[in-house]
Amino acid sequence: MGEVRPLKPEAQLLKGHLDVLLLAALADGPRHGYAVREALRDGSDGRFDLPTGTVYPALHRLEAAGLIEGTWSTTDGRRRRSYRLTDAGRRRLAADRANWRDFAAAVTTVLDGPPWPATT
Amino acid sequence: MAGHHLIEAYLATLGRQLPADAVEELADGLDETYQRHRSTGLPPDAAADATVRDFGEPGTVLRAYVRQAPGRRTALMLLAWGPIVGLCWGATLVAGHAWTWPIPTTARVVFGATLLVVIVTLALAATSHHSYHRTRLTIGAATVLIGLDGAMLCALPVVAASFVWPMALAVPVSLTRMTLTARALPRMLTH
Repeated sequence: MGEVRPLKPEAQLLKGHLDVLLLAALADGPRHGYAVREALRDGSDGRFDLPTGTVYPALHRLEAAGLIEGTWSTTDGRRRRSYRLTDAGRRRLAADRANWRDFAAAVTTVLDGPPWPATT
Repeated sequence: MAGHHLIEAYLATLGRQLPADAVEELADGLDETYQRHRSTGLPPDAAADATVRDFGEPGTVLRAYVRQAPGRRTALMLLAWGPIVGLCWGATLVAGHAWTWPIPTTARVVFGATLLVVIVTLALAATSHHSYHRTRLTIGAATVLIGLDGAMLCALPVVAASFVWPMALAVPVSLTRMTLTARALPRMLTH
């Protein structure tokens, strides 16, 4: 029997879910880009370890969509941009969370198969 | 800034393409990452190397910025609108017998050529993958497009012999495109 190949690298799996993950990373309060990346990595036990440089443009896209809001501040003499959820972002996060739970439950049901004993 | 030549070179590579605000934000992130690595006991060279690896290849980062660039996204939006607007105006011109309208040939040629240049420019911006500068071509193209839509709307009541029903579609479609384009311009100018 041949070697079982992994379905996709995790970076690929993130595609389509990155927006909701970024929104979730901001759910507890404002964060700057590096802290968002850290929250993603730590919250996933290191599985979602995105190149930090690619997190910023994703945040900019969410900002353009009105889901998050960025503000500049000065920290230790250097300018820092932090992001926080907007009302629209909170609504989107809540909706995406609910959708994900339904989807995950359905996939788990299918993958786990019917309860034992199976029908003929 | 962290002050390490490796990080400065990394930032300079991206700085040649990206807007100043984006570079400033990246600089802050690089500095923070570098300081974190230093605080774990890494020597400066190793900390700088780890920082750059954390951020990803400059090409990868640049592609991510280009993909999200307001200019590229607006160009895609305008190209998607093109066939709709074109169809409405095409129907208007045919139904209204535009070839009989008192418009000088030179004006017709200039209008057509300008529209063609706008379309090609938008296509160049929309298909950019590695050049942030190229996405900014949309700023000029979008401005000219507003002018072209405006010219059509202003000329229509003057040159059209009579009302034809496709005008009822072409006019609001053009006005909508002008509004969407005008709303996208400030973001393109600042990013």
